[in-house]
Amino acid sequence: MELMIQSLTDLDHAASQLLAFAGERRKFSLIGEMGAGKTTLIKSICQQLGVQEIATSPTFSIINEYVYIDVLGKQSTVYHIDLYRLHRIEEAVNIGIEDYLYGEHYCFIEWPQLIAPLLPPDLVQVEIKLLDNSHRKLIFL
Amino acid sequence: MTILGIESSCDDTSAAILKEGKILSNCIANQTIHELYGGVVPEVASRAHQINILPVVETALNQAGINKKDLDAIAFTRGPGLMGSLLVGVSFAKALALGLNIPLIEVNHMQAHVLAHFIDDPKPQLPFLCLTVSGGHTQIVLVKDYLEMQVIGQTLDDAAGEAFDKIGKLLNLGYPAGPIVDRLAKLGTPRFAFPEPQIAELDFSFSGLKTAVLYFLKDQIKQDEDFMKNNLNDVCASVQARIVSILMNKLKKAAEQTGIREVAIAGGVSANSALRQALHDTGEQLGWNTYIPAFQYCTDNAAMIAMAAYFKYQQGLFATQDVTPTARYTF
Repeated sequence: MELMIQSLTDLDHAASQLLAFAGERRKFSLIGEMGAGKTTLIKSICQQLGVQEIATSPTFSIINEYVYIDVLGKQSTVYHIDLYRLHRIEEAVNIGIEDYLYGEHYCFIEWPQLIAPLLPPDLVQVEIKLLDNSHRKLIFL
Repeated sequence: MTILGIESSCDDTSAAILKEGKILSNCIANQTIHELYGGVVPEVASRAHQINILPVVETALNQAGINKKDLDAIAFTRGPGLMGSLLVGVSFAKALALGLNIPLIEVNHMQAHVLAHFIDDPKPQLPFLCLTVSGGHTQIVLVKDYLEMQVIGQTLDDAAGEAFDKIGKLLNLGYPAGPIVDRLAKLGTPRFAFPEPQIAELDFSFSGLKTAVLYFLKDQIKQDEDFMKNNLNDVCASVQARIVSILMNKLKKAAEQTGIREVAIAGGVSANSALRQALHDTGEQLGWNTYIPAFQYCTDNAAMIAMAAYFKYQQGLFATQDVTPTARYTF
């Protein structure tokens, strides 16, 4: 599935499309160059899931977690992970990345290339491509 | 009263000894400590803390000339931070406190950054404003009392230090690039006008600036492939000027709204020369008293944890053995 984005309003629309596209799948990888808008997209997704706090960049903290109440009224967690600062797959394993990848909660991973061999088979892959004049193309697989 | 402080919330493992309100030692696991114990410095990883924590605590005790039997309390960072990293410090602190049969004190890492201002003179008068600005955080804190603080403004996306590092990366300066941007900016002129984000109240945003620089560079390089080589210093100066003006404009607004003239900065980005200069100049212009802690107390360190624990000890605020770390820890 492909979407074109020209504004922040389009982005909110894309976030809901992405959640619908994913269905029951809860693990997402996000690929796109720095400044493409990966964190901004995840921020919008968190908001739509019902997270009350504002999701900020996890580059320094590596993993940010947020709670929300899901449609069944149950407290649930979203993990926003950024592997940008890691260099070796062992570092991700030592953080306990597999617990997050194979748990029941939503998990959004920026810079996932490092842990390619660990990613679950039902992963939703998202790519953000920067085009000219502030346009962006979103690809979901 | 002697307190051991332990910090393990993110990359660095640190331990410090405080006695009667004075810091006697502040150690951060580094090459020297590792050479003493024959290890190597691991990269970013929570397991690294397990390798670091014993040598760093021993070194802090030795440097301070304190025997562990003389400790009156053990303080540790409970959060915010990376769960796996926090767990190491929390478990170590609990075990040691149990073994020595002394109280435990849990500390909020972000409050500790603010309280680093009480390690050395000159110390701010209460109430004061503190802009805590680092690779992971950007917030304005209204400090009413040592343990009574309120976040009145914060970043909605990237931290200011992250903006320096990531824009530096776009300029091929490596990562983290903050100090390099600072150095090159001194050789350039801020002649490129990057936009100032229009964010309500006292909150910050730096993500748009990163994207603006990305598009700006793409455009310029299209017209002149040597643009980066010929204009790097000016781009650094322009980016730095904008980041500093975003921070200072909100800090001025906070001072205006609260009527407070005691203004402090904390966190790793307080090492940035342009931010220090801007704080100094604005302070002179508006009649503020301004404060910046020594650099070793600005980056993540255990001295600030011990300092925060000193205030908690005086109020009898101790943790119990069932305390657990918390990745998110607001105040």
